Amino acid sequence: MSDAFITLKQVYKQYTRGGETLQVLDQLDLTVPEGDFVALMGPSGSGKTTILNLVGGLDSCDSGTVKVAGADVSAMSRSELPAWRARHVGFVFQSFNLLPVLTAQENVMLPLQLTPLSASERISQAQFALDVVGLSDRATHRPSQLSGGQEQRVAIARAIATDPDVIIADEPTGDLDRNSADDVMDLFCKLNSELGKTILMVTHDMIAARKAKRLLELDKGLLIEDQQQEA
Amino acid sequence: MKFPLRLALKHLLDRKTRNGLTVVAISIAVYLLCFLIAVVQGLEAGVRSASNTRLVTQSAVSLFVSLPVSYQQKIDQVQGVELSTKFRWFGAYYQEVENFFAQFGVDQERFLPMYIKDIEIIEGPDGITGPEARAAVQKAFESDRRAAIVGIGLRDDERFGFKVGDTVPLKPLIFQRADGGAWDFNIVGVFRPLKERIPDSTMYFRVDYLNQAIESGDAYGDYAAGVYYVNTSEGTSVDEVAADIDALFENGPQRTQTITEAAFASFFVSAIGNLPLFLGTIGGAVLFSIFFSVVNTMMISGRQRLQECGILQALGFPPLVSTSLLVFEGLIISLVGGGAGIVLAYASEASLVRMLGENIRNYEITPELVLLAIGTSATLGVIAGLAAGLPFLRSTPTEALRSIG
Repeated sequence: MSDAFITLKQVYKQYTRGGETLQVLDQLDLTVPEGDFVALMGPSGSGKTTILNLVGGLDSCDSGTVKVAGADVSAMSRSELPAWRARHVGFVFQSFNLLPVLTAQENVMLPLQLTPLSASERISQAQFALDVVGLSDRATHRPSQLSGGQEQRVAIARAIATDPDVIIADEPTGDLDRNSADDVMDLFCKLNSELGKTILMVTHDMIAARKAKRLLELDKGLLIEDQQQEA
Repeated sequence: MKFPLRLALKHLLDRKTRNGLTVVAISIAVYLLCFLIAVVQGLEAGVRSASNTRLVTQSAVSLFVSLPVSYQQKIDQVQGVELSTKFRWFGAYYQEVENFFAQFGVDQERFLPMYIKDIEIIEGPDGITGPEARAAVQKAFESDRRAAIVGIGLRDDERFGFKVGDTVPLKPLIFQRADGGAWDFNIVGVFRPLKERIPDSTMYFRVDYLNQAIESGDAYGDYAAGVYYVNTSEGTSVDEVAADIDALFENGPQRTQTITEAAFASFFVSAIGNLPLFLGTIGGAVLFSIFFSVVNTMMISGRQRLQECGILQALGFPPLVSTSLLVFEGLIISLVGGGAGIVLAYASEASLVRMLGENIRNYEITPELVLLAIGTSATLGVIAGLAAGLPFLRSTPTEALRSIG
């Protein structure tokens, strides 16, 4: 494994909700090497999803720095972040977040529209991503015509279609039954081991977390455990 | 900025019921807009084309009180008066009451010279057309007491089909004949109006035909002139001429009120209850209601699409893309609805012209009106899209993703 690929240094983040200030991350330091597969666990409000949002450029920290693949994400303006996300990050959400009006292939092709690829290249790239997740035969199906597990696999295909540096997964098995969750986790392992994707995943599912290479546990914005796991 | 056109089109096609109903609402609004403006323009066309140098002398009491025929000689002597003619409403119909059209009794020697800029004689006796037709019709008008000149509409409308040489019987509603029969008129000419205020379904006949029948007891009614139309000489002050005419009859037997033809035409529009204002107020309120409901529908759609905005932002699209998606969809829906409204307005134009008939002449869906309708539809679409999509610009990806779609 190579040197630090994702670095969070002295990251502080707080939210104000209903007049109350909640400290979510407290001077957090974290380093993730390229090609790592990290599972983040911890109780609600411990700061897991906030870490994902900061690394993915969906949110900004109050102080500290967040670097991904050499880029200082925390220093980017709001207008710079979308283009950076399009090139470097793939997101997988708990509730899949596919656009219901589009087919599986069209959903996968959506982020490819932001690349310089031609229309035919976008189609073949989307087809390749669907092949990777084993759903090329469902390309013309809409999300409503797919099972939950299939929807999540399409979402993963969408996340990898642009060949991003990092895949960020926020409770990807949260809405799935055990079998589907196992399929999805096997897919993440394959993306990590065969394609070398760096994966940062939040989960409450210990079985899913056990499949990651590294398990981090957070509580009240602090990293309380950092454990390397055996494959 | 890359615009996801396929996504926009899918959204338009996906919500068929909602978008379809919105299209229907907009088409009704645009149709209503075209209809109301065409009606108002139709009403005002007569006023616009009416002369400011021609005067109308009527009874000061009411338009429905006729002036004596003896007034004409005195009017003619007023300085600045070029020519005058009696102008008497006849009120009769052809065969069926539904076939009603306007007929006016006029002075046969004076009417055509006074209306040289107002009507063009296109057909006279013995098939005469072209520049000679006017003189031929003038001659025939003076030589036959039952002579009448009809507008081209009465020739071309299959309900009438009046041709030069025809004898046309008209059944009276006002001036009943002693024998209970119809009034016969001999058609000696066909005219085409040169001014919008003159309907092409008007007939002019000799007022002495009516008055002599009344005088001889062959018909019932008063021996009178109706009103007087007065052409003024060039360079004279019409206000002064009008004042001089009214001064002549200040002590009766009928006091007069002399106004310009334009003011007279305007009086007719306002006589039906200031229809333009009425239509403007009620129609405007209905239009705004429909427009606001369209904007509201788009805003609901926008709220439901906030999560999509978050997803698109996570994928790397700036929030402006989500806003422009809604503006695009609003624009397309509005233009389709507006187009349907315009087609509806065109399709119903002929029937409405027949239905409105003499009441609102010159009802027409003009190219300017179509452009206005397209512009209004486009503006509505953009406003509705912006109202729905502008909040996206303020939302952060995390807030948008948390929202429930």
